[in-house]
Amino acid sequence: MNTPALDVKKAWLSRELKHERQLFRAQFSLDGKFIAAGGQDKLVHVWELEGDKKKTLNAHKTWVSSLAFHPKGQRLFTADYLGVIHCWSYEEGGKPQWTIPNADQDNVRALVVTPDGKYLFSAGDDAIIKVWNPANGKPITRLEGHTECIFSLTVSPDGKYLVSGDLLGSVRQWNISDWKPVCELNAKLLHTRLENFIADVGGARSLAFSKDGKLLAVGGMKEAKSNAFCPGKPTVLIFDWASGKQKIELGIKGKSDGPFNALRFLEDGTLAGHTEILHTNSELTFWKTDTPDPLHSITNGSGYDLSLHPDGRQLLVPTYVSGGASGNGARKRHREKYDPNGTNLKIFSLSAKPAENKKAG
Amino acid sequence: MQTKPHNHACGSTDHGVSRRQMLGTLGGAVGFGSLLQPAFAKEIKKQEKRVCLIWLDGGMSQYESWHPLPHSKFSGPFRSIKTSIPGIHFSELMPHTAKIAHKISVIRTMETMDPNHSTGVPRIQRGDPIDRGVDYPYLGSAIAKLLGPADPGLPPYLWIKPGNGGFIHREAGFLGTQYGALALGNGRPPVHIHRPDSISAELDAARNALRQKANERFKAYRGASEIDAYETSYEMAQQLMARKDIFDDSQISAKDKERYGSHPLGRHILRARQLLEAGVRFVKVNSYHWDTHGDNFNMSQRLVPQVDQPFAALINDLEDRGMLEHTLVIVMSEFGRTPIINSRLGRDHWPDCWSIGLAGCGIKRGAIIGKTTKDGAFVDGEGYDIGHLFHTVFTLLGINSGKTHYRHQGQKLAIANDECEPIKEVML
Repeated sequence: MNTPALDVKKAWLSRELKHERQLFRAQFSLDGKFIAAGGQDKLVHVWELEGDKKKTLNAHKTWVSSLAFHPKGQRLFTADYLGVIHCWSYEEGGKPQWTIPNADQDNVRALVVTPDGKYLFSAGDDAIIKVWNPANGKPITRLEGHTECIFSLTVSPDGKYLVSGDLLGSVRQWNISDWKPVCELNAKLLHTRLENFIADVGGARSLAFSKDGKLLAVGGMKEAKSNAFCPGKPTVLIFDWASGKQKIELGIKGKSDGPFNALRFLEDGTLAGHTEILHTNSELTFWKTDTPDPLHSITNGSGYDLSLHPDGRQLLVPTYVSGGASGNGARKRHREKYDPNGTNLKIFSLSAKPAENKKAG
Repeated sequence: MQTKPHNHACGSTDHGVSRRQMLGTLGGAVGFGSLLQPAFAKEIKKQEKRVCLIWLDGGMSQYESWHPLPHSKFSGPFRSIKTSIPGIHFSELMPHTAKIAHKISVIRTMETMDPNHSTGVPRIQRGDPIDRGVDYPYLGSAIAKLLGPADPGLPPYLWIKPGNGGFIHREAGFLGTQYGALALGNGRPPVHIHRPDSISAELDAARNALRQKANERFKAYRGASEIDAYETSYEMAQQLMARKDIFDDSQISAKDKERYGSHPLGRHILRARQLLEAGVRFVKVNSYHWDTHGDNFNMSQRLVPQVDQPFAALINDLEDRGMLEHTLVIVMSEFGRTPIINSRLGRDHWPDCWSIGLAGCGIKRGAIIGKTTKDGAFVDGEGYDIGHLFHTVFTLLGINSGKTHYRHQGQKLAIANDECEPIKEVML
């Protein structure tokens, strides 16, 4: 069967999986047959896409904050806000294969595995990157240098470098062969601390490499105005990986709100990003990385993650759904029904609908 | 106005004894009166009731502080930690306060009326009295009126806040401008507190006399309130000029600075301790930016420790100095935050069920008050409105809140909401 042409301007919502609690992270498995997701209900949910079977993996004691699939075998790594990492056989289910009880002092905000499956990296609140053996969860080394909590990790497509981004907008490159720091990229535009603030806001919330490894995208927001709503200007900085120099700044025209929490490059070099917007609709945004304004956008709720299916034509966005009573002060009228917000795992097809494809063909 | 400004309704059995002991000591040592008098005066001054209101403007999340409920469907991701009260847990973001939980009380069932900042802040700080067509005073101004200054040489109501300072007379409401708050921007003394060297004391006095004369002439045929406000602020500035020592940071040890924290709220609560020690009746400390509609959990992780550390340090220091039984400390906001987490991982405004912390001056030690529904969303049983808290505060300060009234343009006005009463569960 021919793969349909990639055309983000004709993207459409092809499927939705509904869940009654908020899910922060959702990823396709590397064979594209499963989706794993985790969030506020402390559980890891695994949907089998053919047949709609679902498993629930239960071991975390608090919110699940990040997850990553191993490129070989059927292993899934999940982490939580208390610094715990579990390794699961997501097809078999049951108990974790192994557990790291103290991967971080607090929240493990990012997990990533090298393309060859040799290393698992974790990072979060204690600002130290830990390197683990994915086979057994044993520690290999620690990479120190960040001074504030680390939000994001990624590995270059050639598997040679690890990249990490922190709250202060420091993006650091590490050599995987000798674990030495290589350089620091300046994404400090994505961090705000105003004179009357009593907290740091923003940070390098998301990282993504282009398929050829020539570009690195760093997502977040700039110019945060106060730390109540934390509104800022959702912003992506594109760096030339070879020189470490910023090439261009991407944004959303006229919008001011939350950061880009997730970014993914598509095979034709288009960048996809998703932000969070308070109480209103957000946008799944696409750019050509040589132009600051978006190529296309799709109205959506707030989304915290993006995952590209291995076929390159489907994008998964865990999207929050308001239960209807999340505004200020419910008073007694809501006592009958007062439930947490849920999530729709939305799968957007990145090509024209089948009928249109056929017509075009 | 009927007040009993110096009785001791805090209920402590030690209290009367210590006063009698002090009088006995003085009576028995008449011959040494001149030697003992300063110590006695100091002790009497220490026994003056004072209040420190720590105001977290915007609304602190009860789930990320006083009432974590880790098994609730609305809980955040943080651990709940044991406190010094068996069986009671606070959020892990409050480790210092958890250690002194046995010295304080927490009310977990505040159930107030207003979910908006613009109306909620004044409503809460005025105690939400029944509407009688007048602008009620904020708590600090009310206490300045009802008890007067604890030290006649100092203003009764100082307000430490980030940003600019100045004389904020609007807090006084119908009481009149003289009961307004003197705000110390960023905790610093008012600017130009020092008389310039180029102006002699005599010249300064002459200039003041001229200013007063001009004011009197102006007041004779114009509205007086603005002049009164100006006069009051001038007098307060003069008082502070005579007491520059209370802003002397060199008296604060490096260890104290570290214990309170280097962030603005820590520095400001440490300044509050200095002012309370010096004899200021009511000190309000404001912290802003608690309105975490977005990114509540990252923000709480940053913000809550900034009140936890200096609040615990203040309670310990007041106790060590023998001041806690005479000083009421309140930590509160205009409301709590929603159980439901919104689409930006924030919590919104929630007056329906929220928590406040209290200590000192007749507040029970180690009392955790109020029953909520299992998930913490609503009060299960009786909730407390802000009127109840105002009655409680006045009672603890020795003011009979049911019988004391303001008089305003011939109208008799209750000092607290007539439909509420003191929260007995929280008082000794």
